[in-house]
Amino acid sequence: MARWEIKNVRFAGVSACVPKQIVKTADYDIFTQEEADTFDKTVGICERRIAPDDICASDLCQAAAERLLEELGWEKDTVDALIFESVTGDYRTPPTACLLQDRMGLSADCFCLDIPMGCCGCMYALVVGGNLLTTGNVHRALLLVGDTALRMGSMKDKSRVPLFGDAGTAIALEFDTEAEPIVIDFHTDGAGYTALHTPHGGFRHPFTAESLVYEDFGHGIVRAPMHTMIDGMSVFAFAISKPPRSVSQFMTDYQLDKDTDIDYFLIHQANKLIVDRVVKKLKLPLEKVPYNLEEFGNLGGASIPSLMVTRIRERLQGGEPTRLLCSSFGLGLSWGTMLLNLKNVTIPELVEI
Amino acid sequence: MNNLEKYNEIFANVFGAQPDQLGANYCKENVSEWDSVHQLNIISEMEDAFDLMLDPEDIVACTSYEAGKDILRRNGVEI
Repeated sequence: MARWEIKNVRFAGVSACVPKQIVKTADYDIFTQEEADTFDKTVGICERRIAPDDICASDLCQAAAERLLEELGWEKDTVDALIFESVTGDYRTPPTACLLQDRMGLSADCFCLDIPMGCCGCMYALVVGGNLLTTGNVHRALLLVGDTALRMGSMKDKSRVPLFGDAGTAIALEFDTEAEPIVIDFHTDGAGYTALHTPHGGFRHPFTAESLVYEDFGHGIVRAPMHTMIDGMSVFAFAISKPPRSVSQFMTDYQLDKDTDIDYFLIHQANKLIVDRVVKKLKLPLEKVPYNLEEFGNLGGASIPSLMVTRIRERLQGGEPTRLLCSSFGLGLSWGTMLLNLKNVTIPELVEI
Repeated sequence: MNNLEKYNEIFANVFGAQPDQLGANYCKENVSEWDSVHQLNIISEMEDAFDLMLDPEDIVACTSYEAGKDILRRNGVEI
């Protein structure tokens, strides 16, 4: 079983940065206005922020992190560990975390690590960062979680283009023996890996001329093997079945009552169809389930931290303890459930660049 | 309402289908509206109507009226 109760680690702050450019569904030339209206109504993603080509996920994360460090009052040389979680790093090598250590002016004594885990990225970063800090060997960590996922796919793929937005987030963790435990539960089903897949460009199928050849798969899906693809039905089937079961089991194991023990349920903002279904299956009280997909789309691993910044910021900043139960699911296939007890969290206003 | 009537009502709700239209030929290939969103709606209504939590394999396999019945039977629903 992959379940952690991470003690002695305080969730000190969280921030998010998005590009200024707002793109509405009808702005994509692959959609008619009628198709865009239908998409907005059924999938629920009406607009998203899209970065220009010269801004990478690391830039968005850096801007979020710089603002967070400023508001926390942390000197840069006190950051002992930097984790960059993204599937859209700057280069195939070296790890982007190392580049960020230099660009942000962090200490040469800082431990730097990349994690490419997609939509569960926030939880993976918290598992790794939290376990680095729990013994007190290192005291402060920054977790940078973000992606520019649109550019991974084909701009002629109607099944994928409108789903994603770009964002970078930063989470600050600090060693603190008084902190409430962070509980994270993880699962993996590698047999389903082709549901979210980039066929060419790795070492199984290196990039060749064939990688650039577009194929028409029908239903408005035109892409080449170098592009990331989504098997929509398989993703739906996975997302509405395995994650809710794990959340249900988690609540049973920890004797959590959804009405009295949890203040908010933060569900990965994949799309409205999936989130609504997860909410309905778990019979969650709607007022406890914030959404931001209508405004930002699917932000991958940044989805859950972005909900904290854009939807429940004031509550988390206050001194009243807030209990969050989070559910993420995505690449791998992987899915996780996370329980956080937060208060007095430093949360800058949403950063735009 | 018996289980078959409950099941047929799902297709009435999702596609506006009448009971006499439903049979072996009512499937993804023959029903133009049967896309992934409609399939998700069928599954959602089946789970709600029969109080089930279906596996991913069943959800993907629900591509016809008859396949949906088989899925219900595999999950203990008499139909």
